[in-house]
Amino acid sequence: MKTYLLAGLALLLTCCYVSGTFAADSDAGEVEMLVFPDSYTAGSVSGGGTISGIVTFEGSAPEMKKLEITKDQAICDATEKYDESLVVGEGNALKNTIVYLIDVSKGKDFDKATKLEIDQKGCKFTPHVQIVPVGARLTMLNTDKVNHNVHIFSSINKPVNKQQTKNRRKMPLAGVKKAEGPVAVKCDIHGWMSAWMAYVPHPYFAVTNENGEFTLEDVPAGTYKLGYWHEACGSNSGAPASVTVEAGGTATQNFTLKLK
Amino acid sequence: MRTRNVTLLMLVLGLLYTVMLAHAQNAPEASEKGKEVYEQSCAHCHGTEGRGDGSAAENLLPKPRDFTRGLYKIRSTESGQLPMDQDLFDIITIGMPGSSMPGWETSLSTDDRWEVVAYIKTFYDGFKESETPPRQINLEGKISYSEQSVETGKGLYVELGCVECHGNVGRGDGTSAPTLTDEWGFQTWPANLTQSWTFRGGGDTEAIFKRFIGGIAGSPMPAFEGDSFLHFGLTVAESKRLSELENKDEMTEAEEAESEKFYEKMDAAVDLALNRVEGIELTATEQQTYDDAMKVVYEKSWHLANYVKSLAPEKRPESAIGNNVLRSQYLQGGLPSMDDAAWETLQSKHFPLVGQIVIEPRQFNPTIDSVNVKSFYNDTEVAFLFTWDDRTHTTGDETDETTGQPLEDALAIQFPVKVPQGPTAPKPYFLWGGRLPVYLWHWKASAPEQVTEVTAKGVSNAEVQEAQGELQTQSVYTDGQYKLWVKRALKTEDKKDLQLEPGVFVPIAFSAWDGANGDVDTKRVMSSWYTFVLEPVPSSRRFVYPPLIAILSLGLLFGLRAVVQRRNA
Repeated sequence: MKTYLLAGLALLLTCCYVSGTFAADSDAGEVEMLVFPDSYTAGSVSGGGTISGIVTFEGSAPEMKKLEITKDQAICDATEKYDESLVVGEGNALKNTIVYLIDVSKGKDFDKATKLEIDQKGCKFTPHVQIVPVGARLTMLNTDKVNHNVHIFSSINKPVNKQQTKNRRKMPLAGVKKAEGPVAVKCDIHGWMSAWMAYVPHPYFAVTNENGEFTLEDVPAGTYKLGYWHEACGSNSGAPASVTVEAGGTATQNFTLKLK
Repeated sequence: MRTRNVTLLMLVLGLLYTVMLAHAQNAPEASEKGKEVYEQSCAHCHGTEGRGDGSAAENLLPKPRDFTRGLYKIRSTESGQLPMDQDLFDIITIGMPGSSMPGWETSLSTDDRWEVVAYIKTFYDGFKESETPPRQINLEGKISYSEQSVETGKGLYVELGCVECHGNVGRGDGTSAPTLTDEWGFQTWPANLTQSWTFRGGGDTEAIFKRFIGGIAGSPMPAFEGDSFLHFGLTVAESKRLSELENKDEMTEAEEAESEKFYEKMDAAVDLALNRVEGIELTATEQQTYDDAMKVVYEKSWHLANYVKSLAPEKRPESAIGNNVLRSQYLQGGLPSMDDAAWETLQSKHFPLVGQIVIEPRQFNPTIDSVNVKSFYNDTEVAFLFTWDDRTHTTGDETDETTGQPLEDALAIQFPVKVPQGPTAPKPYFLWGGRLPVYLWHWKASAPEQVTEVTAKGVSNAEVQEAQGELQTQSVYTDGQYKLWVKRALKTEDKKDLQLEPGVFVPIAFSAWDGANGDVDTKRVMSSWYTFVLEPVPSSRRFVYPPLIAILSLGLLFGLRAVVQRRNA
């Protein structure tokens, strides 16, 4: 009897040593990172220009996948939920694309009045993409009467994994020290919940709305590299668009993206 | 007198300090020696670059740690902090129960283990960059184990949402358990809190407390930092009052103002907690406010740790190995059904199960740890009660891609068809028989009220018996545990069945499948042969023969004496 066990063990060890071709799975799902300037000086901007545009999806958008709600159905399944990794609206408008200046080193300060919140409502994160200034506190809201855990998968900053119990309506999170993005946000309790955020060092970041529109205001006149990132369509950080904006003027730059 | 006391105190304190220093040791500078030891002993699993991708990593779950992220599960430090050197040394020394990480205490010298600590720290720059030492979790103020503490902890277990993953009674069967993944995207299961011997960082109360406060980095287990607690910043009494107010349908103006004060107090405390994380120094008064708030949190956490401690037996149940006879107890009259209290009077036998790795498909990452068995018999029948933990209730709704068979939970009890005559006589092959056939009871979660009798001469040569219905069955799945009751006549008409007789030692073995873990066919957990016996009833004749022999002997003695005396006369 013991001989079999020993033989089994020996076999296990052999198997382990023989199978030498193990590729780390994590490489496959590598997310393309946003590009940040080495330094940024914030001040007042007078006579800045505007960069705006529309991001559209190329071709016909695949049907949105309905999410399987496996628990807390009374609250989480009250409304139908879809995988929001690709939200295409009318006229192929692509929502949730981050559009930003790559090489800006001087410009305006963050608008302190902007609410930095992600709501957990109906077991879904809203918004799906949130921009957070470096050092600022993001407040997690829990509108549901269920327990959530806020799991932020940072790798440059310290990852966050904190329980937000059903009685905890608001939970502010500590500000981070370094620019990083995009970073996945998940709730392990409700495995389908997913969002993205970026900790950014300057305010020239926009997220496209349901019409695919973005606007960057008060941009000091000059020529910039304009980058984008989208969860399902990837980024252009390898070959960003070049945009020139004049004082008081408006530059337009549209993007058409396809699945990566 | 007083000076002597002071001297004594200083001596004791000095000694304590030395002991503390000796405990919290730091690693030496990284050296070639550390690299050498690492590459020889650790790189097979953790990879030469420390990415957790060594040649053996593929078949391991939990996966070997990737050292390049600086995320360490088992720490004595707060959430988001690096581990102490001592934490790393302890893990290398003790190993991680329930995973493939062995302890190296006997195979690496103390110096070598410290060298390895120094070397693995080079894989993550954060160790070099951090200017301040990691903040350790304060273990002072431990609340000792008591029923009342356990009761308080139980309430927190639900309130804080532990139940979501760890389940109602802690068997790791919470409703969120099946979808959990770790930081690297690999599936992971919540700890079965009733099996403290599988806790990676040890099962003592302090270890549980540290995992809870600091979280388990890289896993879905969140850190319960102070502000994760309900009403952080309030005293227990204030929190109780606020709950009262919050539960009111309508508050008066005064009550409104009262609750507003509480909210302000909580916000202020949370603000301080965040300042602390962000590295903003607290003033003395702020520090006091924060410490007061944390005192409440730490007290609650000790209660919770005591509750978790209470869920597991003091020690792992004694394995049937080395003491390997499952003894069925004789009962006069009818045998108890599944839920009969009579079963409580029996101690169950604990049979560890291991992944089947001899033939394809293999199970390298088992989720079922063991099966516990009890048995009663009477003059005509035998009954068994099997219990085993399985985090998921899987009834075959999904099928396995390669075999096309349904994925479902199952248990099989295996006997030989013919009992080997004598201890050296050959038994059938332990894995579903071979040249010698085995007789199996196969239970499946998709048909929970039925156990199928099977005869097998190997895994690819199994036959469902034509004559069924000799087995009575009951089963239930609650809170991450299966309970299966089977009853059969000692003797049957079927020649393919095993026939049972008191006092005869019968080989017995077990196989179990967890459908949610992909178990199907030979991908399963199992045991090798153990022994089962219907414990013979001690005969009532033992009260008759010995006195009879004693009387006879005495009579004989007296007779002899009489004979001798007569001769002499």
